[in-house]
Amino acid sequence: MFKKSAKYLIAVGLTVSTAVVMAHGGATGIVKERMDAMGDMKDSMKEVSDMFKGKAPYDANKVRAAADVIKGHSGNALTKLFPEGSLQHPTEAKAIIWDEWDRFSKLADHLGTLSEGLANAAENKDTPIEEKGMMGNSSMMGGGNMMGNSAVMGGHMVHTAEEYGKMPVEMVFKMVTDNCSSCHTRFRKEKE
Amino acid sequence: MKRALIILSGFSVVLAMGWNSLNSEATVASSLKELKGDVNRGAYLARASGCIACHTDVVNGGAPLAGGPPLKTPFGTFYAPNLTTDTVHGIGGWDVDDFALALRYGQNPKGDSYYPAFPYTFYTKLSDQDIADLWAAFQTVPAVGQSAEEHQLGFPFNQRAGLPVWQALFFSEERFQPDKNKSEKYNRGAYLVEAATHCAACHSERNLFGALDQDNPFTGSKSMLEGEGKVPAITKQALQDKGWTELDLAYALKSGLKHDGDAFGGSMGEVVRDGTSFMQKEDLEAIAHYLMNQ
Repeated sequence: MFKKSAKYLIAVGLTVSTAVVMAHGGATGIVKERMDAMGDMKDSMKEVSDMFKGKAPYDANKVRAAADVIKGHSGNALTKLFPEGSLQHPTEAKAIIWDEWDRFSKLADHLGTLSEGLANAAENKDTPIEEKGMMGNSSMMGGGNMMGNSAVMGGHMVHTAEEYGKMPVEMVFKMVTDNCSSCHTRFRKEKE
Repeated sequence: MKRALIILSGFSVVLAMGWNSLNSEATVASSLKELKGDVNRGAYLARASGCIACHTDVVNGGAPLAGGPPLKTPFGTFYAPNLTTDTVHGIGGWDVDDFALALRYGQNPKGDSYYPAFPYTFYTKLSDQDIADLWAAFQTVPAVGQSAEEHQLGFPFNQRAGLPVWQALFFSEERFQPDKNKSEKYNRGAYLVEAATHCAACHSERNLFGALDQDNPFTGSKSMLEGEGKVPAITKQALQDKGWTELDLAYALKSGLKHDGDAFGGSMGEVVRDGTSFMQKEDLEAIAHYLMNQ
C-alpha cells in the first residue's frame, strides 16, 4: 500500500517538475519566479512600444494597465526575488548584484516611480518631445552632467511620479526603458 | 594551455615571416588640412562611432573622453586612452594628419602601432570630410590632465613590436566604396556599420590573434569581454529568424528596447545608451535597412 502511494507520489512529482523545467529553459524556484516576473514586464513593454512604433493604435488605458504591471514587479517585489547568491541555472543574473546591492535596489525602486509616472503621463500623447541632443556640445563632448549619473539612473534626473506625469508619455516610456537597460547592462549576463 | 601554445607558436611564425618586410612609416597623403570640419557633425559621429563610449569612464563619472574603464579580454586588460586636448596626456599636441594616421593606419605620431581593440580597422573607411569633422569636434573637448592606465596584457600580446606584423597580415587601409547597384539608404547604412559604428567588432568571430572573420561577418561570437556571455548573430537570416523587422531594429537602436519588449543589457546596453540613442532616425533606419538586406 505504502509502496503504491510512494510510486504515485514520485510519478506526480516527476510530472510537476518536468512541467516546471519546461518553462523558462529549466528554471525552478526563485529563479523561475523572477524570470516570470521579468517576462510579464517584457510583455507590457512590448505592448506599449508597439504603440510608439505605429504597429498598434495608441490606447492610454492599455498604457496605464502595462504601467501597473511593471509597478507591481518593481521595488521590493523585484529585489526580494534576488536572495544573495541565487545564481542557479539558467539564471542570467550576475554576482555583482550583491556587491552593488544599493545601486541594484535604487534601480528597482526607481522603476516603481517611473512606472507610476508612466501611468500618470498616459494622457500626454501629443506633448512634443525635445530630441535628445542629436549633436550639440552639451550632449557630446563638453557637458559633464550628462555622463555622471547615467549609469545609475539611465541618464536622467530623478523626479517624482507626479513630475513624470507631466512629461510627454513617450519620453517617460523611454526613461522606463533606460532604467531596465541600465540594470541589465550592469547586472545581467547576455545569453542571446 | 594548448591554446596558449598555439597562440605562441603562431605568433613566432608571424614574427619570423613578416618582420623585415614591413614599412612602419605610414604617411597620410592628405589634403585634410584644407577641409573645414563641422564641430556638430563631428560630435555626432564621435557618438555614433563609440569614441565617447569607449574613452569615457561613465560608471565612475569620468570626464568625457579622458580615458575609458578597463576592457577585460582574453588578451589582457585594455584601457582606452585620454583623447582630450591636454597636450601631455591627451592628443592636444596632434594635428589633423596625426589624427588621420591613427584612424586610418592604426599608428600614433611616433609610428607605433595600436592594438586592434581600437577599431581603426573600421575607421580606416571613414571619408576625408568625416575625419575633418571628427577632428574639429575633438578640438572642443576640455583638456584633462590625467593619463589613462597602461594596458595590462600577457605575453606575447604585450609585445607591441608584433603589432606591425599583425597589421600586415590582418589589416588593409582603405576607404569605404559605395555599391552603385544599391540605394542611397543602403549605402548610408553600410557606411555607418562598416566605417563608424563597427557592429562587426563584437558581432563577428575573431581568430586567435584577435583579427575579425571577414568572410563570415555578423555571425555572432562569444564576447571578448570578461563575463559578458554571447553576442548574437545579426546576419539578415538570424535577424529574420528571431522576428526582427527594420522598424524594430531602428527602434531598438534608438530606445534600447528589443522587438520582444526586452531591454538590452551587457555591452549593447552601453552601445545604445552612449551611442546609437543619440543618432538621427534616418541613420538608424539606414543601419537597419543595411543589416536586413545584406
